[in-house]
Parts: sequence; structure tokens; C-alpha cells
Amino acid sequence: MTVGSDVKQCFASLKGVEASLSSLALRTLDDESKRTLHEAMMVVHEVTKDLKKRVGELEGEELQYKGF
Amino acid sequence: MPEWLDIAVRSALFVAVLFFITKWLGKKQISELSFFEYVTGMSIGSIGAEVATGLERNIFHGIIGIVIFAAIPFFTGLISLKSKGFRNFIEGKATVFIKDGKIMEDNLKKERYTTDELLELLRRKDVFQVSDVEFAVLEATGDLSVMLKKENQPLTAKDINLKVASIKEPQTIIMDGTIMDEPLATIGRSRAWLQTELEKLGVTIENVFLGQVNSYGELTIDLFDDKLQVAPPQERPLILSTLKKCQADLELFALGTESKDAKQMYRLNSEKLQEAIDKVTPILKG
Repeated sequence: MTVGSDVKQCFASLKGVEASLSSLALRTLDDESKRTLHEAMMVVHEVTKDLKKRVGELEGEELQYKGF
Repeated sequence: MPEWLDIAVRSALFVAVLFFITKWLGKKQISELSFFEYVTGMSIGSIGAEVATGLERNIFHGIIGIVIFAAIPFFTGLISLKSKGFRNFIEGKATVFIKDGKIMEDNLKKERYTTDELLELLRRKDVFQVSDVEFAVLEATGDLSVMLKKENQPLTAKDINLKVASIKEPQTIIMDGTIMDEPLATIGRSRAWLQTELEKLGVTIENVFLGQVNSYGELTIDLFDDKLQVAPPQERPLILSTLKKCQADLELFALGTESKDAKQMYRLNSEKLQEAIDKVTPILKG
């Protein structure tokens, strides 16, 4: 297992959480909870964007993770 | 007409009359909030019983009596909606029994309540120590309303600065194995959605005694067959644990990498994620 695949796995999990949060936000009847869930979804989305970039970098070079 | 038949007819008639009269007077009459409603409620019942079994009585006299006894509280109710003075006169005023934690002996005497009766009323409100009470008032109905001292009041989420998720009322969408379409429409769901949810749980609609949907759109059911176990909804706790795992992963990556930029990026994102987790935890905890 390389670090690259670990990061990829984390990225995939976060994508899943993003989708779950989004669908939960849509189903929630209370407006305040809905908004909180939506905000959390946006944060997760930002994190996945950064991670995606990192996954791209890692696919090119695994060197920084020597020792792992 | 034989006497027993006469009584049967009269009884049936007065059940109908009493039913419609109490419907007309509404919920206020049933709750007997003022002594006025208490008196009319009693009288209407007595008149009905008297005329139903007293064969020498005229039926219509009885009905006139009932209608008048019902009409007076109805119209006084209308007037007291407008006038506070009239309301105080008709419905009576509440009497303060305990103020600033001290018993008002004069008010107790005025209402002719003994100390034992006061203690009994307090015990009915689960208060056994008078010194726990800040304020207590005897309502016009004869009920005692009690406000405990702040330190004796039940602990609320606000008291301990606990964040809780706000929720909406649950809707009952299945009763005795039949789908209730109106509440289903209120939460914006279709029968097809319900069918899918039931399939996920592995039960048929005929086997469901009661089904409710909570604020988060999760279906919880009770089955006729109590031997079957139904899994509680797991989605929200699952999201929370996945979020926590990813946040921990990011921290691990931040420690592991030797690239400064990547370290910075991981750290920043793990902090952002932690903030988001803190915000949604009250909702996702379930």
C-alpha cells in the first residue's frame, strides 16, 4: 500500500460523505439543521477539491513519502 | 308505547342532544377551565339524565333547559373574549399561594385551603419540600401551578451550553398496515418512496402496525410480529464516523509528508473538517 492509495481512499470516502450530507440536507425538514448540513457539505467539498489536486500530484511522484 | 321503549327512545335522543351541545360548546367546556363551565357541565348532564328516565317530564322542556344552559356560557365566552373585567368576574382570578418562596397565609385562608391541602396539591406536582418552591398560584380551576426555584428546575440543554439540533414534529404515515396519504404529502414523500424504504428494511406493508418519519426523513416502524427485529436507521452515525475517520487520515498525511506545501494543505483541511464535524455532531449523533 502506498501513500497515494491511502489518500485516494480518503478522497473517495469524503466524496461519499459529501453525497450523503447533501441527500440528508435535502430530506431534513427543519430549516436550521438543513442549513448546517449544507454548510458542512460545502466544507467537505472544498476539502475534496484540495485532495483531488494532491492525488494528481502523488500519481506523478511518490518520492516525498520515502520510508512509508 | 311501553315504558321501557319510551325510556330507550328518550335516552337515545338525549345522548344525541348532549353530543351536539358539547360539540357546539367546544373543548373549553370539556376542560372546565372556569367554575362557570363546571356548573353548566354538571347541570346539562343532570337535566339530560332526569328527563331520560323521568317519564312524566316533557322532552321538550328538557331540551329547552339544556339549550339555555349551553347558550349562556357560550355567550359569556364571547363577551369575555372582549372584556378583561367581565372575564375576571366570570372566570375568577388566580390566587397566589407562594410568593418569593414564602407561603401567603392570608390567601390560603381566603380560599379556605388547609396546610394539608396545600401540601397535597404540591405533592401532585412532585414537590415534597415547600422550600423548593419559588412561586405557586391556585388557578381558577383549582389546579396549583408551581414554579420551582431555578436550582431545583430540571436541567436543560441551555443551562449547560449544550448545542442541540432543532427538529420538526414526526409524521405518522402508516397505521394498522394502511398508508396515510395526507401526512405523507406533508413531508413531500410518495407511496413509491415508502415502498422502497420498507423493502430496504425487508418488511411488507401489511406487517407494519405503526410507521413514523422523523425530522431527518428516516422511517421507524413497529411490526405486528414482535419477534422480528427491525434495525434502527444507521445513516447519520455512519456519516459522522466516516467524517471523523477522514479527518484523522488527513492529520496522519500531514505528519507523514515531507513536502511543506502538502503538509500545510493537509493541516488546513483537517482543521476545516474538524470545524465542520463540531457543527454537525449534534445533528448526526442521532
